[in-house]
Amino acid sequence: MRGYAPILLLVLIAAFLPVLVWTLSRLLRPRFPNATKYSAYECGITATSEAREKFSVRYYLVAVMFLVFDVETVFLMPWAIQMKELAVFGIIEMGIFLFLLLFGYGYIWSKGALTWE
Amino acid sequence: MPTMTLTQTLVMGLIQIVAVLVLIFVMVPLLTFAERKVIGYVQVRLGATRTAGGHRGLTGALNRGMWAMGKVPVLSILRGLPVFIADILKLILKEDIIPEKADRAVFTLAPILSVMAAFGVFSAIAFYPGVLFTFPAGFPIVGGLPFMGFISDVNVSLLYIIGLASVGVYGIVLGAWASNSKYPLLGGLRSAAQIVSYEVPLTLSLLVPVVLSGSLNFREMSLRLGTGEGMSWLATFPLMAGFLIYTTCGFAETNRTPFDLPEAENELVAGFHTEYSGMKFGFFYLAEYTNMIVVSTFASGFFLGGYHFLPFGLQRFIPATVPFFGQPSLIFFFGKVFFILFTYLWVRATLPRYRYDQLMDVGWKYLIPLTLVNLFVAAMIRFAY
Repeated sequence: MRGYAPILLLVLIAAFLPVLVWTLSRLLRPRFPNATKYSAYECGITATSEAREKFSVRYYLVAVMFLVFDVETVFLMPWAIQMKELAVFGIIEMGIFLFLLLFGYGYIWSKGALTWE
Repeated sequence: MPTMTLTQTLVMGLIQIVAVLVLIFVMVPLLTFAERKVIGYVQVRLGATRTAGGHRGLTGALNRGMWAMGKVPVLSILRGLPVFIADILKLILKEDIIPEKADRAVFTLAPILSVMAAFGVFSAIAFYPGVLFTFPAGFPIVGGLPFMGFISDVNVSLLYIIGLASVGVYGIVLGAWASNSKYPLLGGLRSAAQIVSYEVPLTLSLLVPVVLSGSLNFREMSLRLGTGEGMSWLATFPLMAGFLIYTTCGFAETNRTPFDLPEAENELVAGFHTEYSGMKFGFFYLAEYTNMIVVSTFASGFFLGGYHFLPFGLQRFIPATVPFFGQPSLIFFFGKVFFILFTYLWVRATLPRYRYDQLMDVGWKYLIPLTLVNLFVAAMIRFAY
């Protein structure tokens, strides 16, 4: 587990670095508050409506499909390392798994979920 | 390797982290400069030349002499180099604007997440498989300990890298949402959908080296794939295909041309970071360029032979007894990294941008089946050999 200590250290340093730089640059940068400056950007005109409106359902669809396929790759990982040891059993097992997955893939393709209009 | 106490591990880690941070902070500004210059020269213009350099001293005299002869001075390649100092100063000295309606906490958190994901990946990348140098025995705390070519040598480094790299998308989505403005939200959604779509073929294409080398450790994979030992000569073909697929996905993951849809400036202003200014924008920028370096190190380590001279496991044709080209070297690794980085700029200067539906089509309909076929071929080769 000792090997993970430097990793944690780097992640912490990377998270701390922006805070440090922002704090230091506060000493150098100007600050002139202004109502117009702090309003949301919308091509120079006054913002007409709330930004957080409804958006296309396709984005959710992509997110859900990503979830399925990403879990698939996670399942493929252990097999990929151990494939020599698992031999024929592993190949057949993965074949069944991939067949089920590709069946679903074909289904969402035929339903038009992969076509972006 | 001598066993280390916890203090020694941490201090050693700290020294290596500082080394990697210096590497990043040297490479990123140089990369932005190289971007201007390379794209400039591709488009038959000079790029940035106005700031300092090449006016005084020996180079200045040579340059003036060449101009006098009616030739563009060769040394002018380095003119304009101080531009990156001006860039950094500008970012630091800019006023930091947080829009009134924005969610302040999340708005600040987003760049931190992006930087964390981009930098954290470096802890598992091995730049050199062995000891770079040993600290002299009299050195405080770390005396006599080796300085390795990697920060940490955990055996699941690839999983860790893939996992942490996907955290980067949170920075983009949260930054876009927290801005509470229309363009960033639209740009952020596009970015997220794009990155998430290309994450699948990216991970699948990285499975090819995993299958062929039978390891998840960056150093071991790089060494085995580089030397090609224990692999069939046929393994070269899935590696080549995997390299092309991986680079394509890598370009999309880092939002670079021809996949820079999130920054389609004629439609979406600047994408998810429209409302960001000053150093908050600066860290998004830094994260993007750091991600480019990360993608390049991966392509170099897994597909282009890593520390060895020849790519795709072709190193087997050079015996290890050959003095320079037969041995692993830092030079080869970084040479390949710089080549991929140059390809980034080359592609940017050459190709136009995709349309959004084309982008999604390429990701879901072509790359995923292609990677699966490639993985199948690699598995068969590994299985038969």
